[in-house]
This record gives sequence, structure tokens and C-alpha cells, in this order.
Amino acid sequence: MIHVEEAIARGKKGLAAALSQVFGEFSYDETAYHLPVTYALTGMAVHSGDAARKAFAETGENPLVAGECVTASDAAAGGKEPPPYSGFIPDAELRRLGYSLVDGSILGLALVCGTPGSPDTAAGICRELQEKLMLTFLAGDVVPSLSGAGVKVGGEYRLIPLGSTPSRAIHFIDILARVAMMFGGVTPGDAGRLLAYAKERARAVVILFPGLSDEEVALIDAFRVLGIPVLTLGGYEGGSFLPVSPGEAVRRGMDLRGIKVSVTAIPIPMACSPAFEGKSIRKEEMYVEFGGGRSPAFELLQARPAGEVQDGLVRVIGPEIEEMKQGGAYPLAILVEVAGKAMKKEYEPVLERRIHNFVNYGEGSWHVAQRDIIWVRLSREAVARGVRIEHLGRLLAAKFRMDFPDLLDAVQVTLVTDEKKVLDLRGEAERVYEERDSRIRGMRDTDVDTYYSCTLCQTFAPNHVCIITPERPALCGAISWLDGKIAYEIAPSGANQPVEKGKEIDTLRGEFEGVNRFVKKASHGEVDRCSLYSIMDYPMTCCGCFECIVVMLPEVNGFLVVNREFKGETPAGMSFSTLAGTIGGGAQTPGFAGISKGFILSDRFLQAEGGIRRLVWMPATLREEIGPRLREKLRKEGIPELYEKIADEEKAGSIQELAEFLARAGHPALEMKPLL
Amino acid sequence: MGLETISSFTGQIGTVLLGATRSEGGSRSISYTIGGERDLPFLGSPPSGHKPLVAYELCDDAAVWPPVVREFLGDRTREPGAWAREAGDTWKPDLIRLVLTSTRKRDFQDFASLRRTVEEVLQQSPLPLIIEGSTDQAIDSEVFAACGEAGEGERLLLGTAEAGRYRSIAAAALAYGHAVIAQSPIDINLAKQLNILLRETGVPADRIVIDPYTGALGYGFEYSFSVMERIRTSALKGDCDLAMPMISGAPDTLTIKEVREADPGIRQRVAVTWEFSTALASALAGASIVSVRHPETLALLREAIDALWGGAGVR
Repeated sequence: MIHVEEAIARGKKGLAAALSQVFGEFSYDETAYHLPVTYALTGMAVHSGDAARKAFAETGENPLVAGECVTASDAAAGGKEPPPYSGFIPDAELRRLGYSLVDGSILGLALVCGTPGSPDTAAGICRELQEKLMLTFLAGDVVPSLSGAGVKVGGEYRLIPLGSTPSRAIHFIDILARVAMMFGGVTPGDAGRLLAYAKERARAVVILFPGLSDEEVALIDAFRVLGIPVLTLGGYEGGSFLPVSPGEAVRRGMDLRGIKVSVTAIPIPMACSPAFEGKSIRKEEMYVEFGGGRSPAFELLQARPAGEVQDGLVRVIGPEIEEMKQGGAYPLAILVEVAGKAMKKEYEPVLERRIHNFVNYGEGSWHVAQRDIIWVRLSREAVARGVRIEHLGRLLAAKFRMDFPDLLDAVQVTLVTDEKKVLDLRGEAERVYEERDSRIRGMRDTDVDTYYSCTLCQTFAPNHVCIITPERPALCGAISWLDGKIAYEIAPSGANQPVEKGKEIDTLRGEFEGVNRFVKKASHGEVDRCSLYSIMDYPMTCCGCFECIVVMLPEVNGFLVVNREFKGETPAGMSFSTLAGTIGGGAQTPGFAGISKGFILSDRFLQAEGGIRRLVWMPATLREEIGPRLREKLRKEGIPELYEKIADEEKAGSIQELAEFLARAGHPALEMKPLL
Repeated sequence: MGLETISSFTGQIGTVLLGATRSEGGSRSISYTIGGERDLPFLGSPPSGHKPLVAYELCDDAAVWPPVVREFLGDRTREPGAWAREAGDTWKPDLIRLVLTSTRKRDFQDFASLRRTVEEVLQQSPLPLIIEGSTDQAIDSEVFAACGEAGEGERLLLGTAEAGRYRSIAAAALAYGHAVIAQSPIDINLAKQLNILLRETGVPADRIVIDPYTGALGYGFEYSFSVMERIRTSALKGDCDLAMPMISGAPDTLTIKEVREADPGIRQRVAVTWEFSTALASALAGASIVSVRHPETLALLREAIDALWGGAGVR
């Protein structure tokens, strides 16, 4: 048993001693990168013992530098090892190898090193690495051991024997270093970039058998700086090596580096591509629909511990498509459960919002809105081709895995079409939505310098830009400022970008130079100015996903808010859907705005126009939904009586009735500055 | 030209370097920088309004080449190296575009022959080279490795990356220092997506040329024209993911019904006129490189471009 910490301490001394015995000139053949590890770390072109020692000192006595210089000097003095050993791999060959890495024909790099207890263990591990499309390098007795077990080695078998001793494992790192310099744009001497590149891009693992000298242990341990996990199959204790059993070594290693054998095609009877995203399914093309106010429907994505999620599992609880009548509206719950090492609870809403895109990717499936107001349709054509409810689940499970390979290890989807179960589960989902909303409550727009954009809907509304602030969630209600921040973390080139708010132009209207600059660019020049807190002057554009619409009513000097679920006419003489058709599509429409439900309760709501005191009408259901929080807000503002003064469809269906009601109630809006 | 612009664009198209002369580490007689526009063609002040380059297309297996071109060239299509040399000497294109049609054969495996073909063309013609590799994902990896390696140092333009299959081309570009053509099917969003995918693979923006896909005149060209305009205006308005030069070729113009069924006496002229009109319109839409297959189109195109952009152009 080797005690790793102690071996490293002795090994470092040993390496330093060996390096002090390196004299004369030496170099590798056929490379423009000198001694590549040393060159990448220090920028120094080392070709002599003195230069090697200088580089060694400069890197704080990095064992990799010592190991490389000693190996290079030995190889120069003693000549190349005979076949099958490759020794140092020339640049031209390495270029080919790097090509396969970028190209995806190999998924990652493995080093297997040391003296296997039995040839069969080594053979098993190497075969598994071959099957998983890993390019494997070998150093030490593992090479004769494999030959003994009848395993062929060589480049064509993706098993490359570097050398007869584990010390030659240093070539594994000179390969990584050159790949970083050739393909990753890492400049020699920029050690920080090299480490970052190795950690993010170079997917490499080490699997270690016993039988290493102290110097070799120190050398291999130094690999870990590059984000390379070292897995051991017995014989080592202490230190940061991870003991594994032979059966799990490859899988653990690949898991740790996030190397995944990727899904390419989704086995469902409909095409799935962003090309279909903007295509809607009209009533006459539809086979069945879910939600949209016609039946209860909601979606929920939650993170679970790894053990509770079975990757790829798709269940349908309740009737399948065969039991549904054409043209009908049925209940639906889309429950996505995910697990992943890097997955965090905070990511849930951001990932949940992707359900919208993914369902729309399906050639015959369509999705709008979010949370418990979703509206999903399947086309006749798709159903005729054999698409079933189950396939929505398959699509989601596969797309989440494909699009978030680094984040998610397992995704399972449950689709519930049983009405009673949907209603039961919806209660739970609403609790989760509420919990998410409460996380952001209390944060103020003035607390931060950066807002976030959302251009997720540009496939539908090409010039629409949402600006998301702590006090103004995205108009769909599904992405808060925190979610925007997290989405940017997950996908830095995604639809949520940081927006430096810049110099303030107007406090009341919430207009900022930085925001204007961003909106102009992101709207492709269509929108020059955007006020975050005004509906009258330069309001934000609308896509089509808004939870509610705010409408100016000049006759009563106030605003009404109508939510998507409300099917009737508003006192403005238009229903939600008519209004939505008027203001959506990425246009700026003064007097109208799409907003989230949460924004009604924000202090920034109608700030430029006088705030919540301007609110004169909202549907009874919406009032009920936000009632407790609305009362609380009005109490804090010192106007608790306003709650009863806000009309609904029972109290006022038309604008005349509304004017009469407001006059009777003594609504404050009537006394405020005229809107026009 | 030099009309004042009608827009206030803030963006600029990036540049891409093609071909490498001896002093640049290659063996070409000339190298080109394409892109850099700040405005739509003919608007604004230089460097807007670059003069488009003209590429001449040839192939290594003429069996699938447009019959009208085969008829014109006879057995001069047999050998790509000689074909390239003759094209350069006689019809004077700015670049050669070698289409490796031999890879379209079923179960193609002769990757060594591709390498020989590329080397031969590079030897016979000193012009910067565009190479169109395979169109089948199953052999992409080996085809592009062969092309990339054979042209190392020459700053080739490699085609064609698509959303589903771009990794091998990206890898060849990165490994051997070439640029890539990123093609999307007349769709601005997919064009953008592919550019992002390429970038995430590590291909820098200054090595990507957008091919928005060009339909033949009368067969959907208006969609191509319009998507080229949209790509260009988005880029000029600041969308960096679309701010790359464009390349356009419309090989279908030589096989459409009007050409196939034309009276044999005028068939050549119909083909040339069709290809010329499509290519010129693409140049007007903002393509930095227009690519044609009929030798006689080249002279016409050269004359029209010289007339419109001025003799020397703004390079």
C-alpha cells in the first residue's frame, strides 16, 4: 500500500534531484512546441539542463516540468523506446488527434498507468474505454499485460502505449498542452489560460494501477491541477486519488469529467428542430389541445437527487391519445424531473421555461405561455403519423439531455392526463411557483447595476426584447431577474444577457442609457428607447407570452389589467385575445403593455403614471389570485380602501358602467392628472 | 459609388483572410481579405461596397456535373489539376472552388485520392482555393481531415458546414488553419445558430463565411436575396453572430427546366444568362464571393462587376 501524501513529498524531492543531474542539450523531434508542458506553462523554450532548472524554479517546482525535462533528456540520451511504444508524439500526428477530439469522433482522453493485478482487469477497462469512444494512452506494465490478454494496441485501436514506465505518462500532458495551444488559442506562458482550457475543454481522466514509484506518484498527482481526476484500483491510500472498483472506473471517470455519449436522433414519429419553432397550429389543424383556459394544464420542472430520476423514463398517467376525441380539450400536467451534479434548485425556473421551446421544436406540437396557464396543441397531421402524448415526454427528455449535457445527467418526464390527478398536482405546483416568486421579493431595482435581457421569444417576435429587473419580471412571469442571472451562468451566449443599466435618463419612467443601447441593438435597430416603469412613453415591447395586459382607459383616467385566463370582454371593448393580437409581435404600443401578474404588485407598476392608484379594473379571478398580496401592498401604501374600489366584470362590464362605479366608489384615479 | 447611406448602422462585417502567399506561409500567388463592410452595397463610404470576388467551380468526378458545362468543356473535365490551370489561365477567376464530387459515390472510401486531387489542384493553380468536401456525415471525418491536411498552410475555405454536421469541418479548420463555409437553408435564425455552434467549437468569427443558400433565379432566388439582405442588415445593426462575409453559388441554374429543354442551338447561352443573372443579383445582395460553373459566365460577370463596382474596386 502506498501512502499518497508521503509518496508525493518524497517523489517531489526525487524529481528535483533527478533534474539536478540533467546536463547538456536535448529536445524532442518534430515539434514546434519545444518541451510542450514547460513551454505552455512558462513560455520558455527549454533545451538544456540549466534552462530546465530555471523553468522548474519559475513554476514553483512543478513536478510536471521536472518530469518532462528528465524524460526529454533521457529520451535524447537513450534513444527512442522500441515499438510498440510511441514515445513523444510529433506535432503532425497530434494535429490529427486533436482533429478527432474537436470532430467528436473521440469523446475524451484516458491514461491507464501502472501494473495491473491481472491482465483481465486491464483488458476489461481498456475495452470499455474503446467502446465509449475514448482515446486511451498507456504507460508502464499495463502494456505487456494487455498484450498478454490478447488486446491489440496502437493508434488504430485507440490504445496508444506511450512508454514502458509510468514516468512516460508525462506525454499525456504534453499532448494536452499542445492541443490547448493548437486548438484552444492558448499562448505559451499563459498558465492560467492553459489550466482553464484543460479544465473546461480537455476531457481527460487517469486510471491508476499499483506499482508507481514515488516520483511517478508525484507526477501523476500534479495532473489534478488540470482538472484531471485520478482514479485508483487499489494500492493507494490518503491524498486526493479516488479509489474505485474496476467495474465502475470508466463510468466514474467519464462522469467526473462530464463526458457523455450523446443522443443524436430522438426516436419519435415527428421531426424535431428549431425550424418548426415559429409554426403555430391553428384550430382547424389541431387534433387535441390542453389548457389555454379550456382545461386545467400546467408544467413543472424540479431537481431531484440522482437516485430518484431514471434517465429517459417517460410515463403517461391517464388517457393516451387513442382515448381522446378529435377537437377536444383535455387536462395535462407536464412534470419534468431532472438530476445532475451541477444542477441547482435555482436553475429550475430557467430550465422549465425551455419546455416552451422544446415542445415547439416538434413538427406537430405547439406550446404557449407557462406555468399553470400553458396551452398545448397536437396537430392532426402529427397524430395521424402516430404521435402520442408519450412522445411529448420523449421529446422533452431527449432535448433536455442534449441541450444541457453538462448540467443534467438524468431526465424523466411524467405526463398526467387524468383530470383529478392534474388538479391535485396543480396545487403543489402553485406552491412551488409561489416559493420561487418569493425568493426575488424584497430585492429592489436600485440594488443592482445590471439587469438581464430575454430574447427567447425572438423566434416569434423577432424584434422583441424583455428587460428583466428585480422588480419587473419578464412579461411571461416565468423568468425573474435571478433566473436571468442564472440562465446567463448556464449558457453565456443564450437568450438572457446582462444589461448594464448605465446612466439614468429619467427616474420616474425608469429610462437608462445602457438599457436603451441594449434594446436598440437587440431589437435590430427597431426600438430606440425603453422605459421600464411607464406604459405611456416608450413602453417595453411585447412578444405574445404576457400573463396580463395593461390597457389605458382615458375615459376614466386609469388602467385596467386583464389576465390571459379571462375569456370575457373588458371595459375597453376588447377581450384578452383581441388585445393580445393588437399589441404583440415585438411592437411598442403606448398605452398598452404586456406584463406578468407579479408586476402588478411591484412598486414599479405604473410608476410614471402614478402607480397602483391608477388601477381601476381587473377580472375577479385575477383579483382573487393576487388578492391577499394586493391587500397587503395597499395596506403598506396606506390605501387599504382602494381594494374595494377596483372594479371587476361583475361590477362593471362596459366603460359607462365602469365610470359610474368609480365615481360612486370615489376611486382616486379620477382625481389624478389627466392621462392624455 | 458612394451614395450617402439611408441608415445609421453601427455594426461592421468582420473580415476573413483567404489564401496564403509564399510570405504568408503558403504557395498562392495572391491572398484576399473579404468582408469589412459598414453599409449595404453601394451605400455609404468605403470600406463599404467591396468588389465581389468570383470563384470558378470544378470537380473531381464530372459524372454529376451539369451536362451543359460538360458539353461545353468536353474531355477537359477529366483531370481536375489541368482543369484548374486552364480555368485560371483562360477565364481568370479570383478563386478556384474544387467540389469533391467523387465522394458522392456510394460507399466511397478512397480518401488518399482526395489528398492527391487537392495537392494536384494546388500545384497546378496558384489561385486561393475553396474545397467542397463530402455531403455525408458518415465520411465527413476522414474527408475533411484529408482536405485539411493536404492544404495545410494555404488558408483554404472549406465547405460546407450545416447545423447537423459541422464538427469535422470545424476540426479541419482549427487543426490546419483554414476557414469554413457555414450554410443554412435560407433561414436567418438557423444561420445564426450555426455560427454560434461553430464558435462554441472554437472556430473564430474571422474564419467563417456564411452561405445563406442560393436558389436559382425563378426557383426561389427571391427568398435567398431577401435572407441575404436580412442577414446583412442584422449584422450592420450590431448582431455579431451574423457579421461575417457571405458566399453564394447557384449550381441549380445550370440544370433547371429552361436550360434542359432549351433549343440545343441556344442552350449554352440560356445557361450562361441564367447563371450570370443569379450570380450578379447575389453580389448585389451583399455576397463577397459569387461562385459559378460555366466558364462563359465568368467573363460576363467580371465585366458587370467591374462596371458596377469600378475597375479597381475597393479592396
